Amino acid sequence: MKNKKPKFSVILGMVLISIILLLCLVSFFWLPYDPDRMDTANRFALPTAAHLLGTDQFGRDVLSRIMVASRSALLVGLCSVSVGALIGLVVGAVAAMSGPRLQSLIMRVIDGFMAFPGILLAMMLVAVLGKGQINAVIAIGIFMIPSFSRLVYSMILENKTRLHIKAARSYGCGPVRIVISHIFPDMLPRMVTQFSSSIGGAILTESSLSFLGLGIQPPSASWGMMLSEARQYVLSYPFIAVAPGVVLLIAVLGFNLLGDGLNDRLVRKGVRS
Amino acid sequence: MLKILGKRLLSSLAVLFVVSLITFFILKWIPGDAAQLILGTEASQESLEALRESMGLNEPWLTQYGNWLVNLFRGDWGSSYIYGESVRTLILQRLPVTFSVTIFSMLIAVPVAALIGILSALFKDSPIDVFSRSIMQLGTAIPSFWLGMIFMIVFAANLKWFPVTGYVPPSDGFLSFLHSIALPSIVLAIGELGILIRLFRSSMLTALEQDFMQSAQVKGLSRATAIVKYALRSAVIAPITVIGNQTAKLFGGTVIIETIFALPGIGRLLLTSVEQRDIELLQGIVLFITFMVVFINLITDLLVAAANPLICLETGGKD
Repeated sequence: MKNKKPKFSVILGMVLISIILLLCLVSFFWLPYDPDRMDTANRFALPTAAHLLGTDQFGRDVLSRIMVASRSALLVGLCSVSVGALIGLVVGAVAAMSGPRLQSLIMRVIDGFMAFPGILLAMMLVAVLGKGQINAVIAIGIFMIPSFSRLVYSMILENKTRLHIKAARSYGCGPVRIVISHIFPDMLPRMVTQFSSSIGGAILTESSLSFLGLGIQPPSASWGMMLSEARQYVLSYPFIAVAPGVVLLIAVLGFNLLGDGLNDRLVRKGVRS
Repeated sequence: MLKILGKRLLSSLAVLFVVSLITFFILKWIPGDAAQLILGTEASQESLEALRESMGLNEPWLTQYGNWLVNLFRGDWGSSYIYGESVRTLILQRLPVTFSVTIFSMLIAVPVAALIGILSALFKDSPIDVFSRSIMQLGTAIPSFWLGMIFMIVFAANLKWFPVTGYVPPSDGFLSFLHSIALPSIVLAIGELGILIRLFRSSMLTALEQDFMQSAQVKGLSRATAIVKYALRSAVIAPITVIGNQTAKLFGGTVIIETIFALPGIGRLLLTSVEQRDIELLQGIVLFITFMVVFINLITDLLVAAANPLICLETGGKD
């Protein structure tokens, strides 16, 4: 019974992610319409055979825009989490392997970064860097660093005193080599878990920034921006707010479920054995 | 207890110090300085220089940082160039809105999450548990701006249970004030449910596995009595820290909900300051919010430490 549940969430997560991946991949070869083509005679159309998800305030095809926007959502999600994970890994490892002074200095700075609630830090970074897709990647990437470095830091400290690490050190292994070839393999499952759930969070943050007008800029499409544009018309034409939100929910839920499911399978199993 | 108080106070101050450094130096990187932003790109070199001089922008960064910090302690948080008012006035004007939405949404979220979480721990793997775990996942994944819009369409525009947007201050009648912040608070509360249910569920599961539960039953207490008398009590204490933490985080995360429901709170002020690159205003808001976060966390930690003598022993007694 216990093994069945995690499996279910992993499968559901993968199914949801595949839907988004499929939307993204297909968008490179085929789109129902040009996502930027306006058709003012056909504004706010409800779903029909011609426009499967209807049209928006300029008569643009919503499905095509959702498909194009899936590219930037996945791109921003993957890139920013990779940036955050990589820098977080280095920072956490340096903190864990260095002397007590540097260690507490780095951890205090991390604590400082973690004190900024929610998207406050990302918003502040956007104020400095400016709006746009690449800056969103950087801002969200920096936003991700503290949690990854905390994770790496605590895992290395956990492992540092284990016998095989002491043995490696006695053979003359340097700290870099110890982390990479002796501690990293043990950390991998938890890193993968954190990576997957962070992508969900990053996609949500990107769309929040875009919703506030601070992320991806028009005329490019982004789910958050589609919802922000829909906001003005939503009371008269409620339907235009439905599709982008559902797709966003599918994406975030997919990565979160995958992360949770992997956590149950990889990490807990690792702890037991 | 005093030892903990001192320790926690010190570490809170350290965090605030780091936060002020980060805020100040990140915002120093804004392209074009404050003088440029105020006067625009077409300003003459002389007037720029004059303004820089009077704003102290020609001083070394560290001196500027020091001056900023000293002024903060004096109660001078700078002035906003877009509003032409002091930052402190602007923030304090908008504080009640953000504060009431935050508190109100926690008042909704915590009891609901406690009920669902504890029930799902008691009936693990039952339909209740499956339901609560679905809410847990949905609560964390659902974008609040989308949920806000959907709720607005359904409950405000169609059912007309709540006003669509707008804020009524408590001075214009407490009931209409509650009515105006109800929908935003409910949307915020749903976003919090995910984390809180998870918390109560795992805390209750831990409590149920404790030795005292077994000994209670060995001594002849019925399971129901043991749960009510012992497990519940221990299950409610653990989440307090996280509830405090979440309240603090929520306080800084109201920007989206305030945007959707057009509430004149700190979040909206924050958004304006980011859009207009109003550095002093942004600095003030960021520092104010993080100060509140650190402060609320400190208070919760001390409350928990006061309520639970074991924590005193663990952290304060040993060293």
